[in-house]
Amino acid sequence: MRIRIIAAIAAGKVAHYLSRIFGGRGSSLPGVVALRVFPGTLEALARQVPCAVLVTGTNGKTTTNNMLAGVLESCGRRVIANREGANLITGVTAAFIRAAGIRGGLKHDAALLEVDEAAFPQVAELVKPTVVVVTNFFRDQLDRYGELDKTVSYIKTTLQRIPAVKLVLNADDPLVAQFAGVGRPFIFYGLGNRIRGKEAQTPTREARFCPLCGKEFIYAYYHYSQLGAFRCPGCGFARPPADVEANTVFTTDHTTHCSVRVKETLTQVILPTSGFYNVFNALAVLGAGLWLGIAPEKIAASLSTYVPAVGRLQKFVYKGRPVYLNLVKNPAGFNESLNLIGSPQPKDVFIALNDNDADGRDISWIWDVDFESLERQKQILCFVCSGRRAEEMALRLKYAGVPTGKIEVHPAIKSGVRRVLEGMGSGVYLLATYTALWPVDKILRRYAMEVNNADRLSSLPRPS
Amino acid sequence: MLTVCHLYPDLLNLYGDRGNIIAFVKRCRWRGIPVQVEEINLGESIDFARADFLFLGGGSDREQELITADLRTRTADLADAIEDGLVVLAICGGYQLLGHYYRTLDGTEIPGLGILDFYTQAGSKRLIGNIAIELEFGGHKVQACGFENHSGQTFLGNIKPLGRVLKGYGNNGRDGFEGARYKNVFCSYLHGPLLPKNSHLTDYLLRLALNRRGDKRFIKGLDDTFEKNARRVMLRRMGVK
Repeated sequence: MRIRIIAAIAAGKVAHYLSRIFGGRGSSLPGVVALRVFPGTLEALARQVPCAVLVTGTNGKTTTNNMLAGVLESCGRRVIANREGANLITGVTAAFIRAAGIRGGLKHDAALLEVDEAAFPQVAELVKPTVVVVTNFFRDQLDRYGELDKTVSYIKTTLQRIPAVKLVLNADDPLVAQFAGVGRPFIFYGLGNRIRGKEAQTPTREARFCPLCGKEFIYAYYHYSQLGAFRCPGCGFARPPADVEANTVFTTDHTTHCSVRVKETLTQVILPTSGFYNVFNALAVLGAGLWLGIAPEKIAASLSTYVPAVGRLQKFVYKGRPVYLNLVKNPAGFNESLNLIGSPQPKDVFIALNDNDADGRDISWIWDVDFESLERQKQILCFVCSGRRAEEMALRLKYAGVPTGKIEVHPAIKSGVRRVLEGMGSGVYLLATYTALWPVDKILRRYAMEVNNADRLSSLPRPS
Repeated sequence: MLTVCHLYPDLLNLYGDRGNIIAFVKRCRWRGIPVQVEEINLGESIDFARADFLFLGGGSDREQELITADLRTRTADLADAIEDGLVVLAICGGYQLLGHYYRTLDGTEIPGLGILDFYTQAGSKRLIGNIAIELEFGGHKVQACGFENHSGQTFLGNIKPLGRVLKGYGNNGRDGFEGARYKNVFCSYLHGPLLPKNSHLTDYLLRLALNRRGDKRFIKGLDDTFEKNARRVMLRRMGVK
């Protein structure tokens, strides 16, 4: 056993080293190799770390997990985290291997791991988490999972099997809030009132019907998709009161300010990013903080210096114009990205759609995205469609009513990025699915530096 | 005025299938053919006789059960309309629903509407992936492509398949058939969605719907460069073109 784990770690570390040399990120390969050498690697390594937090759900995993890692580090704790978003069992194992000594020793205080919804049951059994954060459930990469209902029910039964786990649950998502019924201690977080009350965007509401009794929910208001103040007229299941709740939220171009009540005390949180959905991620972190014994003020201080991960509304500057890169992977998230590009300045938009395994091989979900909202937006000068399914993306835009003269198809990502950077607008928005994200990021860095010598902003926060 | 009837858009809304409605409607409007969409939800009344194009998508198991119960009360009306030549597109779960039954892995038979002669048997392996088929309509053989994702395996009785599998699984991964065709009813496992990039099929459905109303007008061609490109990329990738 001792020999096998050492062999597995050595093999994993060699794989990591080689992968870096050949230009990879080494975020999963070490895990693949190590698990091949010794299937018990993850369990053996995880056992040495006293506290493990798993973050699962559809959207917000990477941001929530990275925010939480930043918070714990700012408190002086030594953490292991899969920050790059490699969230299958291989990616989680790789994070442990990178942190482990050559003899398999770990001296870390906590492991913070984002875990893919479908991989959650397997990873949770091996890692035995102390705290589990569940963000939300939207339709995502269904060809790997079968329908959403099944994914949710597997996670539910897994939570019932892990002893002594504490939960942090999104109160505004009925599919998540129902987990309060699994019999584990829980903390709810959510948006307090009609902060963003608006009409339903029906095409992407995943859960219009009560998961407990099947009746259609009545909503007082929505935040986005099925998130909001739901109530079931059949069995009475309703949005529960939250322990961590944002009362007011306002956003500027670069920051989001919110006033959050944590139990009985109010805390001001300033996030250096403009995506509204990041409020939910910050609330999840504050909720986890309650279980981990970290004061809300400490968390708020750490969140104010949060640097977005690759493709989470990352900002660049090219020839003096702002360039944003955002990951898109499902209708709910894509609609939020479209909201972001709705500002009145003229701009050029790039969309890279890939259909590799990690993106989801079925790209039909783009027909559930509300591109029809773009028809009214005359300020978008050009759409550059790129990636393995560039032609299909172009087709979707055509049927959404975008004039075909504004749509250009550049399947090669490099030529697509170059084309959009030379657009006539005063800003550029790049949206990319998972496997297109890193190629886009890489090219963007090169051209933004080469052509105009503009440094990538090292971090968004420039509190003035 | 053509009336498009979208059945249970709230429930049968998996995998972007509403793209089929978008495609049908847009291709009418681009040609100046007046068209309206009626969404029918659970418990609402439907007049099948007024419909020109009926779309039935797929949903998750739970939702599928809800709507089967709701539709069962209108089976006779739907069957009459189908005999009368109503143009129907039924995808995946909506396809299975029109047959005799769905037999689950433990042998339970969930009855379908029994309008068309086929049955579906749950398989242990989910049939997932890109798919290319060859189908014949109006005397021409054409190719179409999409994405299939089903664990049910459908076996046809006395009814024609929609097409022949070129790449992928089709109805059951064994007999090489994909979908089913009866009169103006088109059943298929193809998501993608089916109609936007397979615009030749969309136009055929549109022509059938107009003809049924005695409207023999010439349907002018559209610039289908985007559609053809999207289709060609996938057919090439699957090595069938």
